[in-house]
Amino acid sequence: MTIDVFWRIPTHGEPSSHRNRTPHRGDWFPGDDTKAKPGSVGGTGQGYIDYVAEIARAAEISGFQGGLIPSFPMTDEPWVISSLLARETSTFRFMIPFQPGFLNPVVAARMTASLQRATGGRALYNIITGGGGPAQLWWGDSASHDDRYGRTTEFLDVLKGVWNGGPFSYHGKFYQVEDAGLAHPLSQEEYPEIYFSGSSDAALASASKHADYYLTWLEPFDQLREKFDRVKARTQILGRKIKCAIRVDIIARPTEEEAWAEIEKGFNSLSREALDKFQNPDASDSVGAARQRGNRPTTINSYKDLIIEPNVWSGFSLLRGGQTNGIVGSYEQVAERLDQLVALGADAFILASTPHLEEAYRVGEEVLPLLRGKTDTAILRAVG
Amino acid sequence: MTTEFLWQLPTSGDGRYGNSRKERRAERASSAHPYSDGVTDPRGLSFNYFDYLHQVARAADLAGFDGIRIPEDINGDEPWIIAGYVARGSRHLKLVTEFDASRGSSVYAAKNTVSYQRFTDGRFAWQISAGGDDKHRRALGDFVADSEINPRIEEFVTVARGVLTQSPYSFKGKYFEVLNGGFQGALSNQKVPPIYLSGKSQEALALSAKVADFHIFDADTVESIQQQIQELRALAKPYGREPAFALRIDIVSRETEDEATFDARRYWQQSEQGNHQPVINGNLWAGLSTDTTAANATLVGSYEQVTEALVAYAAAGVSSFLLSSVPHFEEAYRLGEHVLPAVRAQIKHDQRRAA
Repeated sequence: MTIDVFWRIPTHGEPSSHRNRTPHRGDWFPGDDTKAKPGSVGGTGQGYIDYVAEIARAAEISGFQGGLIPSFPMTDEPWVISSLLARETSTFRFMIPFQPGFLNPVVAARMTASLQRATGGRALYNIITGGGGPAQLWWGDSASHDDRYGRTTEFLDVLKGVWNGGPFSYHGKFYQVEDAGLAHPLSQEEYPEIYFSGSSDAALASASKHADYYLTWLEPFDQLREKFDRVKARTQILGRKIKCAIRVDIIARPTEEEAWAEIEKGFNSLSREALDKFQNPDASDSVGAARQRGNRPTTINSYKDLIIEPNVWSGFSLLRGGQTNGIVGSYEQVAERLDQLVALGADAFILASTPHLEEAYRVGEEVLPLLRGKTDTAILRAVG
Repeated sequence: MTTEFLWQLPTSGDGRYGNSRKERRAERASSAHPYSDGVTDPRGLSFNYFDYLHQVARAADLAGFDGIRIPEDINGDEPWIIAGYVARGSRHLKLVTEFDASRGSSVYAAKNTVSYQRFTDGRFAWQISAGGDDKHRRALGDFVADSEINPRIEEFVTVARGVLTQSPYSFKGKYFEVLNGGFQGALSNQKVPPIYLSGKSQEALALSAKVADFHIFDADTVESIQQQIQELRALAKPYGREPAFALRIDIVSRETEDEATFDARRYWQQSEQGNHQPVINGNLWAGLSTDTTAANATLVGSYEQVTEALVAYAAAGVSSFLLSSVPHFEEAYRLGEHVLPAVRAQIKHDQRRAA
């Protein structure tokens, strides 16, 4: 068995470096007129999708399985990007995050089967259920936190039920269907792999029933080992096997000093407001976000205060949106840390680094070839 | 007023016969080996129906159609995915994507639409349909009563337009709810998709009067269409608005009327319409259509006759033509070459004279 490595598609533009936020590629921020912003609309006939297409092709050429295409209120949407890029990519697998409450499960099944047909089976899911409260109502979804996981389970029950043609009937609390099923030839497609996110107990219960991969952000290594063990134990009770995957930002350079220099420059360009906001985040009912915050020092005077274990820096969300923890080091160190994560239970990675276009080549050329992954020796080392 | 011509993308099958639903050009995975054992087939499993749909869309683009209608058919592929799939291969086409209001959150539909608009320079449009009968809807997980179909479409449109044009936008209705919704920055101020609605019932017409940008009429005689247009105009007037009027009609057009009539009869024999005889009224064959084109009636005639008939509908108030003919790839070129230029020129001429 081998490990799968994915890349990420930035769906909200991105800066051209970790060091500062401008110029920002894409059309999200009004910028500085003296700098070009590839991927912004305006007279050129080129839009952000053209930049995204470049990243997807860079990722597949560089040896990544495909990429996660994040979906948030301020981003472009993964279903749209996947269908638009189907013909322009060859092996790139489209990992589509979505929340079950947003789509009728039969419609989702039809969309997915069609996308499988359009791409030769390159679609997969990142099922998300977390977040909540007013943020959820922004999307037009009023279900409560624990209800949402029940709904996710039912959603996947229906999706799976109709997938191979039916006839399938179901009478759940959230979804009902009668004599449903995909029509031929949609019914002939591979069922998509499911990466499942969510750190609460309700999430784990739902994941253990349907997920192929349990996907988490990077947490302190010991905490992560404990989490993976818990997920695997829960799934085993149901007679299923689950794999584990980690979404992690990295900065890999020829030397460790060069890698930390990137962080230092990025950190020193931050405003006081950004740091204050980072130390006092908004209330949210996401358990995953709290688990990442848990191990942060209370006063931050230097980027070094955010180094929480060797090569792990807990300030990535300051430099770009998203999760806080990431791996920083030389090519060898980054590969080593990733292999340690494999040893404690990871079966797949979703890696990311800014800018995603150039870094796809760098990581593909310099880091992936150093990974041992799940070779026999790696497994022996883990056992020994 | 500009007139638009939309070609239909045959989402559930296409071939050169009247029963074209059974054919899916380029689809290899499911059909038996098409060549004898004595001949090499270089295609293997390289292609499927999506490659063909992409060709039809490009044909419509090249042949001068203004857009394509991507119909929802439970036996075919899913329209939103198809719209994305053909978007980058076409430059000018308006992508009129059909779905019904049971597909999920209206906000999510609007948010996906924002990305479509950003990536296609505002070419994405919606056709929201009532969905099928009770049994059909239940198979789609939709259990609302017939009487709720139109009210739900209205809420779907209201919420989508709300979040696309305002921020923060809140709404709490019977079917949809949103709190402080709306889009920021680059996602804001994207083109609101033009909304096509259809239906003959009083409820459907009343809904179109209130919210539709286009109302689609099923093919019928010019007199009947004219009457329906007047009716809808009167219904829309109290709201101070007037939707555009679209006509969905199939075409069998050939160099001569004889050839067209011959082919029309053959399609009728090949299609699965049983013993139901088409009712012929001039060039309009009511009840004739192929299994995939599936309009209410077909215009059968020479290029000149079909041109004349389409111009008459335009004079009656139709400004959007939803056309279809099998096989859709070849026929897109035929109509684009032989019919559309003459229809456009004549409509322009008539409008200039009227002005």
